[in-house]
Amino acid sequence: MSDPVVRIEDVSKVYGGDRLRVEVLSGMNLEVAGGDFVALMGPSGSGKTTLLNLIAAVDRPTSGRVIVAGQDTSQLNESALAPWRHRHIGYIFQLYNLIPVLTAYENVELPLTLSRLSSADRRAKVETALEVVSLTDRQDHYPRELSGGQEQRVAIARAIVTDPTVLLADEPTGDLDAESAEGVLRLMERLNTEFSKTIIMVTHDPRAASHAHRFLHLDKGKLWSDPEEVATNAGGEAPSPGEEE
Amino acid sequence: MRKLVWRNLLRNKRRTLLTVASLAVGVFLLCVLGALLQTFNPTETETSEKRVVVRHAVSLQFELPEAYWRRLETLDHVEAVSPLSWFGGIYKDTRPENFFPQFATDPKTLLEVFQGIEIDEAASEAWVTERRSFIAGRALAEKHGWRIGDEIFLKGEIYPVDLTLVLRGTFTYPDDLAQENQIFFHRDYVEEALGNPGMVGTYWLRLDRLESVPVVIEAAEAMFENSDARVKVETEQAFAASFSEMLGNVEFLFGAIGFAVIVSVFFITANTMAMAVRERNTEVSVLKTLGFGHLRIVGAVTAEATAIGLIGGSVGVLLAAALVRAAARALSTMFPLFSQMTLRPGVALLGLAAAVGLGVLSGFIPGQAMARRSVVAGLRKVA
Repeated sequence: MSDPVVRIEDVSKVYGGDRLRVEVLSGMNLEVAGGDFVALMGPSGSGKTTLLNLIAAVDRPTSGRVIVAGQDTSQLNESALAPWRHRHIGYIFQLYNLIPVLTAYENVELPLTLSRLSSADRRAKVETALEVVSLTDRQDHYPRELSGGQEQRVAIARAIVTDPTVLLADEPTGDLDAESAEGVLRLMERLNTEFSKTIIMVTHDPRAASHAHRFLHLDKGKLWSDPEEVATNAGGEAPSPGEEE
Repeated sequence: MRKLVWRNLLRNKRRTLLTVASLAVGVFLLCVLGALLQTFNPTETETSEKRVVVRHAVSLQFELPEAYWRRLETLDHVEAVSPLSWFGGIYKDTRPENFFPQFATDPKTLLEVFQGIEIDEAASEAWVTERRSFIAGRALAEKHGWRIGDEIFLKGEIYPVDLTLVLRGTFTYPDDLAQENQIFFHRDYVEEALGNPGMVGTYWLRLDRLESVPVVIEAAEAMFENSDARVKVETEQAFAASFSEMLGNVEFLFGAIGFAVIVSVFFITANTMAMAVRERNTEVSVLKTLGFGHLRIVGAVTAEATAIGLIGGSVGVLLAAALVRAAARALSTMFPLFSQMTLRPGVALLGLAAAVGLGVLSGFIPGQAMARRSVVAGLRKVA
């Protein structure tokens, strides 16, 4: 196993004050190796998205350390985190979150405007990313002119165009029909196998999870690698993978 | 990022248009008020600064004895004295478009006191020598289609005499365009028609230098202090300002209106920008996730609002310039003061700066709040 790209050390995340205290993650430990494809499952409110946000450094743990690409993100202030995220994180959202006033091409180009690349280099990278997601012919279309599956593929192109260390996907197929979802999942699988991208995907769909190499279940703030283990250790039933986050 | 700012500007065209319009109206009002204020408080020219006006201490309605003319000429620092009496006759009819200032004066001294008057030498000589003649500002002559040799008839209103005058020349007055909408004729002709009462409305004095102004004012007022007709002596600008003072504290009124307009426009623009930014809560969170920093996000929102301010301000300034120009043309024949009304670069720049400033503020404040907002909170809104 190669060096972990993501290491989570004794991380806890608590929301609310003293009276309405909700502990979402509790003393969590996790290591994700470079090139791994991890599916993160669990019931609604189990903290899957919170964990993803901590890895993306858009949220901070209450205690513990989140180390991504060798950097303890809690050591970085907000102004240092922005370029760090740009370099290391590619985020794919359930609702795509494309900028509606920009074309597919411009949406993919957006993260590159933060770099000092020449416009020719930018163009080359954007065209490559769009080619990977097979949307070269739709590059001048606005998000409203694309189907859900196509929008998600543009979002994936946007996430990979900077060649980030980790790809984080928060229920990337949650809003897609079965056919589009399958296309997106195959694309992610290809990104993992052909381009060795490290992917952590939150999903509640076992079919989506089956594309990953490693399965993790999150429940009651803890991570389990086997659903049966959840039932045994937490004293409850095995989490149903069908629930919505 | 520039592309994103531009596209966001056009995202909700109606809202952008209305915001631009509200700013344009605000700046338009500000500029028009500014132009009016400056019209009522004209700036002094080099020559006007050296002129003072002598009038009856009680009111302009009272005239001064003709004898004062020669006595005023004896004052130190006085280079020329010319009498000017407002005739106020009716030309054709009482419609406003036929109104123009008519002054009975002494042709020789008038051109010495008002050295800015430019008139053809032959025309000047003809006017000086012919008692029934008059000269008209070029703008006024063109308006009425007067040609040299044409006769006009003025029916006396203030004075119980009617005059028939012959045009002998037209003049220009580059320093003060208001002067081009009036006529001057011989006071001797009027005096004769009135039976030589020997009265004059005002005396205008040209002094040797600017520093002499307070000295001459004091000396002239002292000269007639114990006479039946005491005088009030003031600079040309103060004399002009006394007419606007009749309207009350115009400066304060206009200033207050301008301030109220700007404040209300600020709230409208700030609220609109805040709404526009709030709608993009999720997008801003996405931008942050992509690696856009605080400064870039605040900068983008501020740039968008600043662009609205700049466009609105420019439109307002252009509209104000057009209106002021049209108003100056339309009103100057009735009120010569308005011929000076113009949108000065300083006022236009102030209006533009106010609009841009509003844009910057109304973008910066919500932009800051948005940039500081948690990414998770922004994403949670939809996801």
